[in-house]
Amino acid sequence: MSSTRRRPATLRRVILTVAAALILFIWAFPVLWAVVVSLKSESEVLAYPPSVIFEPTLRNFRDALTGNLSIASSLMTSIILATATTVLTIILAVPAAYAFARLRLPARQGLGFYTLVTQMIPPVGLVIPYYLILNRVGLLDTYTGMITVYLTFSLPFAIWLMVSYLEDIPREMEEAAYLDKASRLQALWHVILPQIRGGIGVTTVFVFLNAWNEFLFAVQLGGNRIRPVTVAMHNFVSIEQTLWAKLAAAALVAMLPVIVIGILAQRQIVKGLTVGAVKGGGRR
Amino acid sequence: MSSGRAHADRRALAAGERRFAILLVAPALLVLLATTTVPIAFLIWNSFQTINLAMPFLDGFAGLANYRQMSGDPAFWHSLQLTAIYTGSTVVMQLVIGLGLALLVLQIPRGQWLFRIFAILPIVLAPVVVGLFWRTLMFAPNFGMIDFATRALGLGTVNWLGSPTPALVSVIVIHTWQWTPFAFLVLLASLASLPEDLYEAARLDRASAWRRFIHITLPLLRPAIVIVIIMRAMTALSAFAAIYAATGGGPGTATEILNLYAYRISFTQLDFGYGSALAVALLVLTLAVSGFLFRIRTAGSGP
Amino acid sequence: MTTRAITQGEVILEGIVKNYGTFRALKGIDLRIAPGEFFALLGPSGSGKSTTLRVIAGLEVPDAGRMLVDGTEMTFAPPGERNVAMVFQNYALYPHMTLEQNIGFPLKMDGVPKAEIAARVQDAARKVRIDHLLARRPGQLSGGQQQRTALARAIVREPRLFLLDEPLSNLDAQLRLETRIELKRLHASLGVTTIYVTHDQEEAMTIADRMAVFRDGEIMQIGAPAEVFGRPDTLDVAAFIGSPPMNLIPARIEGGEAHFPGWRLALPGAPAGDVVVGVRPGRIRLADDGLPGKLLLSENLGEAMLLNVDVDGTLVKLRLPDVSPIAEGTAVRLAFDGSDILLFDPETRRRLDWPEMESRP
Repeated sequence: MSSTRRRPATLRRVILTVAAALILFIWAFPVLWAVVVSLKSESEVLAYPPSVIFEPTLRNFRDALTGNLSIASSLMTSIILATATTVLTIILAVPAAYAFARLRLPARQGLGFYTLVTQMIPPVGLVIPYYLILNRVGLLDTYTGMITVYLTFSLPFAIWLMVSYLEDIPREMEEAAYLDKASRLQALWHVILPQIRGGIGVTTVFVFLNAWNEFLFAVQLGGNRIRPVTVAMHNFVSIEQTLWAKLAAAALVAMLPVIVIGILAQRQIVKGLTVGAVKGGGRR
Repeated sequence: MSSGRAHADRRALAAGERRFAILLVAPALLVLLATTTVPIAFLIWNSFQTINLAMPFLDGFAGLANYRQMSGDPAFWHSLQLTAIYTGSTVVMQLVIGLGLALLVLQIPRGQWLFRIFAILPIVLAPVVVGLFWRTLMFAPNFGMIDFATRALGLGTVNWLGSPTPALVSVIVIHTWQWTPFAFLVLLASLASLPEDLYEAARLDRASAWRRFIHITLPLLRPAIVIVIIMRAMTALSAFAAIYAATGGGPGTATEILNLYAYRISFTQLDFGYGSALAVALLVLTLAVSGFLFRIRTAGSGP
Repeated sequence: MTTRAITQGEVILEGIVKNYGTFRALKGIDLRIAPGEFFALLGPSGSGKSTTLRVIAGLEVPDAGRMLVDGTEMTFAPPGERNVAMVFQNYALYPHMTLEQNIGFPLKMDGVPKAEIAARVQDAARKVRIDHLLARRPGQLSGGQQQRTALARAIVREPRLFLLDEPLSNLDAQLRLETRIELKRLHASLGVTTIYVTHDQEEAMTIADRMAVFRDGEIMQIGAPAEVFGRPDTLDVAAFIGSPPMNLIPARIEGGEAHFPGWRLALPGAPAGDVVVGVRPGRIRLADDGLPGKLLLSENLGEAMLLNVDVDGTLVKLRLPDVSPIAEGTAVRLAFDGSDILLFDPETRRRLDWPEMESRP
């Protein structure tokens, strides 16, 4: 673009830079301020006006992981929940997406539309019946119940995302494989799957993030035995209104995995967002 | 060879592929059916029942009573109004700010990657944590940065989350802060993929920057804009955790969008019958809005 | 290898029909390809030649008709059971595999032992001279090398049929000529029946033993290239074959003479009536007595001159060996011999033969 733009005047450049810096600051501020607060002692936190120069302490982080306010067990719960949801989702979604994208599937349009609609169900419409159902079958506050519920939002999304990746692979790939005496399953396994590793990676990241961040199902259908970090964070505030430094530290620990994934997989996430956005509605 | 056998052979071949396809989709679709459609059917069934966990002796078939109650329930209409305000304002702001930023960042020759990384930050955070961060670090009286800023500017303390209108503004700001990067990233990617030669042609035709934007950029961006609106509207309609963490729907019911109202009726008042009916209303609203938006999308896209 | 008696690889298509929705892509294709033949399917895009190839490969199932390979009905056999190898237009190499894995893939699928795969891959790669590239992936290769890899993947299995779908169309002009020769050489050494789809008639003419000319889902003519070039069966083939193709000039036959506007040509024995006279550009000369016309444009081809002449509303092209320029707009006269022309019936669009014409050399 730059080559065709007019020669930027100095003033213009300054304004652009300032505006850009301001935006970066606004997006980063809550997290950056949480980092600052988390390094303060509880008494320092209450200083007004807020102090910027102080003696940093890692006590809050230690408490977040080990003390009686520890969220360590919640971290474990979140890891199990998000990982299991992701693995199950990928195993179910990839073959289904392949059938949607590439095979003569009976009633494909109707089934595709059905999948799209299931993706739009508001979570509150599910949490109400699920509470009654899981209560009745004794699966409230269990991994089985929670993973089942998490599939409701991860599966339709993953299918649609994978379809858009599969559609990008030339059809001759399977045809060549069939002529090379591969069965349908062998063509899928040896020829198609290795080519959509990138798409599977993006889908994995998205599903994991969404499962990690989920709150409504977790707070209502889990809560005691199954208490992922999102619920732990919320309870933190309800219990101790004023332990802000500890809250900030715990929240940063709870969000560390998704922040790290977000920064590392930044390129893939943007690609996933765009793919979903450009093709999400089954444009073709 | 008889044509009948040829017909049978052809059918057998196509049937082989169909069987394979069905085998691949069946697990996912059965899971979807069991985990989404069955509960939704149960939800709809429940919306015609009286189910009150506090008064189980009243349980039974209620016919349209829940829906009749809804039509005469001022709290329902209030929450519906809030849903409209919340969804409309957040989607418009995300789109306008996101597009503005994308256009701005596109002019910055270097360091675009920095924006992408910072933009990812709000998106990957759990909404419940975003709500908590804003409630404490930003809005809390005598502690939050915004309170500090207003006092420094001599505006005094505003109890942002404690009074109705500021609270509504606050939850709208929180949602917009978290999700504008989504619109920004998608629109930035779409803008970057627009064909350069069109702009060169327009510049040769002496079209002003504004006219280039109106007559070239916007029409080309239309598909991306519509899909951003659809996805952002879906998120806003089912927003829960950030509001729940920041205000809990309060003060009073000032930020209680339909989503939270259905939740409170079910899980605080334990009136699952009426709560189900409210959730059905939200479901219908969501499908209607997305159906309408998808129609716009297909109507507008050329051949 | 060259001494191997070629007994397999006979393909017979009978009345093949293929519909895509309401579009009839193939309208009844009949074809017999002899064992060991190099057979070209020639036609413009959308004429059905690629669909025919895909039917032979088993990638499309015809709606009617049947296909036999070596006397066995194969119409509905899955692609993998036909023992055919195909080179796709864009090669369809597996991007995530090395060349070695690409070429060895059909053997692996066939359950060939690992040691044997390695040896046969080496052998096939050597035949197309890519044995030094086996550790690379397709993305690291030039177009020509990718093309050879696709060929190697096809020959490694020693199939009874090679199917080539426009294999040269993605190569640059120079490479295309070289590869053409190489394909011919490969065919000669392997002796496997080869079916070759192309829209490039020069390619078909130079490389094929026989060819079928396709148009609108039908075969217009089957024959050796020289035969099709020399004696096109129909006006459509005549208008398609040759570069530039045959001139087609309306005339009327009366009393053993062809009557053109302003000229007559003796054609003893020719049947009376309205005809279309076909004559190749290279067989027309400028003369004092001939068809009157006006020069529209002369194109210098280097070693020859191509003149575009307007003859009473019909554009006639002639190729002259002599390269002296002629001013555009000049009135010229064109002549040709009765032994150099073909006659076509404008109604049936088929070639008209008569005894004197049949007897000419």
